[in-house]
Amino acid sequence: MTKNTTSTFSLPDRDGLEARFGVRVASMLGERAQSTAPDIGERLRFAREQALSRAQAARRQVQLATAPVLVSRGRSAALGSPLGWWFKLGSAAPLALLVLGLAGIAHVHDKAQIAAVAEVDAALLSDDLPPDAYTDPGFAEYLKTTRE
Amino acid sequence: MATDKELSDFLKSIEKRAFKRTAFAVRDDDAALDIVQDSMIRLAEKYIDRPAAELPLLFQRILSNATMDWFRRQKVRSAVVHNFSEFGGAADDGDFDILEVLDNLEGTVGTESASDSVSRDQILRIIEIEVGALPARQREAFLLRYWEELDVAETASVMGCSEGSVKTHCSRAVHALAKALKAKGLAP
Repeated sequence: MTKNTTSTFSLPDRDGLEARFGVRVASMLGERAQSTAPDIGERLRFAREQALSRAQAARRQVQLATAPVLVSRGRSAALGSPLGWWFKLGSAAPLALLVLGLAGIAHVHDKAQIAAVAEVDAALLSDDLPPDAYTDPGFAEYLKTTRE
Repeated sequence: MATDKELSDFLKSIEKRAFKRTAFAVRDDDAALDIVQDSMIRLAEKYIDRPAAELPLLFQRILSNATMDWFRRQKVRSAVVHNFSEFGGAADDGDFDILEVLDNLEGTVGTESASDSVSRDQILRIIEIEVGALPARQREAFLLRYWEELDVAETASVMGCSEGSVKTHCSRAVHALAKALKAKGLAP
């Protein structure tokens, strides 16, 4: 007898009926699930606390990972771009001073070397020529070419 | 990003249902507790940067995957696949069963005497047994849709199947339950 009434349900009716049935059964199932054994409740509480402590550890790791970036950027990261340019210029100034200083030292050193060589040359040229020089073939050749 | 309190409240609100759902699947309370704990930890470690509103769906996905991983580890996947096989032909003649059982179930709500309370407890136990006896995919679809209150698209996403399959699984689960409950005398 019941089978004959089946065809009276249209598709939307049937979907609605199924949904009502599903929700009703699920709510009764939920009622029973709330009364779990105390040891299971305790294990679930422990699991929850473990998860929370892991979440806190994960958060700390994220904070540690982002902190060095902020520190390395220093005031420029915190106060915006105009100060950032000044900060970059300020960082480059000691390097520029170092390069200029090295160039100055090299220049003074070169001048001192040139002066020393000139002094030796002047001393040689103003000194008397030793008699042994005339026996040297290289010196004789030199005299010949300067005369020509 | 979900705060500690939001995460704690969320886990508290779903832990018992998650345990029960997993226990239905693996039929072992200790294993179910381990799976739920692993899933909670995975959610807390990997998805803590997500907003609180995304946690329910993420958790259901993680729990489903963790349950499947457990089956893989147990090397009983073939048995699971066997369980996933469909119940055939239940949907055509069950509407009247559903209506009868639904009327009967709704008649159990309200003021209760002591004997009513005992009988209600028995009804709840029968329902639990019958839900546990459903084929795995039907049970998963049924619990996600009606117990976890996910919509069809979300259920399909968690189960990794089409929305049509979800509807079919749910419909078959409802008819199978109605039939089983009627057979247990939960209908006039």
